[in-house]
Amino acid sequence: MSNMPSQDTLRQMVSRWVPPNRVPRGFRIHNDTSDFFRVEYDDVVILNGKPYFIRHNAKEQRFGLDDEVKFWVKRAIDLENGALKIMKLVFYEKFISRIGDIEFECFRSPKKEARILERVSGHKNFMHGYSTRDEKGNLIRILDFIKGKTLSAHVGNMGMDHETYYHERFPGILDHFFECVQAIRFLHENGERHGDIRRDHILIEQETGDYRWIDFDFNYRHRENIYGYDLFGLGNVLVFLVGMGDVLLRDLRREGNPCLGALSDADLNIVFNHRVVNLQKIYPYIPESLNRILMHFSTGANWFYENTVQLLEDLEKVKNDH
Amino acid sequence: MTEKEKKFNKNILIAVDESDNARRAVSYVGQLLGGLPGFKIILLHVVHEPEEDYFPTSTQKEKWLTQHMLRMDALLEEYRQLLIKQGFNPKDVAVRSMLRYCPSMAVCILSERDETKYSTIVIGRQGLSRNEEFLFGSISSKVVNHARNCTVWVVE
Repeated sequence: MSNMPSQDTLRQMVSRWVPPNRVPRGFRIHNDTSDFFRVEYDDVVILNGKPYFIRHNAKEQRFGLDDEVKFWVKRAIDLENGALKIMKLVFYEKFISRIGDIEFECFRSPKKEARILERVSGHKNFMHGYSTRDEKGNLIRILDFIKGKTLSAHVGNMGMDHETYYHERFPGILDHFFECVQAIRFLHENGERHGDIRRDHILIEQETGDYRWIDFDFNYRHRENIYGYDLFGLGNVLVFLVGMGDVLLRDLRREGNPCLGALSDADLNIVFNHRVVNLQKIYPYIPESLNRILMHFSTGANWFYENTVQLLEDLEKVKNDH
Repeated sequence: MTEKEKKFNKNILIAVDESDNARRAVSYVGQLLGGLPGFKIILLHVVHEPEEDYFPTSTQKEKWLTQHMLRMDALLEEYRQLLIKQGFNPKDVAVRSMLRYCPSMAVCILSERDETKYSTIVIGRQGLSRNEEFLFGSISSKVVNHARNCTVWVVE
């Protein structure tokens, strides 16, 4: 407690980084973050003697739904240097996740995320940060804030027709995605899995243009193929990128797309049966080498990727074709 | 040129867990081979050690493991009695339960087979849907695909 900064000291520190009208009169100070709901806007969290000024709770966009507030994830300012951070407090959550008609047990693991952060330190395709414990031993992750938008938002707002996108933008995006798959291979080679691979879990850093994986605290009790779920996620992201968004049966029907009649069940996503993965039938200029990869994620597939090395080998061929 | 006749032993490894498929596999072997001389059975259960991440504390992990091991010991003994009842000599039915971190259960089963040199593995089919197999993999498929120097029976 002797290291606890005074209210005056905190006020001075905060005033260096926020406008005068945003400096609170007094601060609630937390050394114990066990009850993360109690850690609120304008509070200060002290970790290893370092004060962090808490700002908003983080939100996560869910497809088509309102943003979900993540009360255990806070934006914070490192009061020693003014750097904007993401502070992830401990939230042990176990729940049943549902993918299509399959249920499986998932959980959040601060330990996993802390371990991976250490492992990917300096790797340009991952978020960076470190972990530390509060006075009650809660494992807190302090992440560097990445300024940029999600891959999902980037590809979803191209504002051009598919053919133009495919020839002009997709080759560059594919190069970046290739790096993302290599990054996941790096995790797998080190016995780790991402656990929640989604197109909005890749941020495109504004300054560098690098694609960076975020959010590794999600985990699940694997069955036979330890990396199967990660591979499924990579496949979904790839299909999204190739299609410049999800190509949904519903949309094809609504627009009376002439390709609809050529589609069969075997052309649909093996889990999400309303999404088309045989995109060559919709966009005939997609080469066979790429479409073959997509088809490994279809209902008609007779062979599934077992690891990222296999996927990378096939993607390499596509890159050579472009 | 005639290939030298390969020798197979009459030792059978049945890989079991708490599922109905495992019970079917045990029952199948009992009905097929019970009462016949020379066969030796090992009932193998590999405890898939949950990752450290799964439990907030090591105490909770220890508690889980203790309870699981007790449950499995009882189940293995039940399976053993089932085989004895179907005609196996008690001294020819052994049980083995082992704790391992298993990135792949199939690989664990096969490595145990390689150590024991049993000629036959018996395993129950889980009956996964195609999309489940796609997402999570199938133990029996992997055992079939990767087994060497042994025969695999997959019990439906």
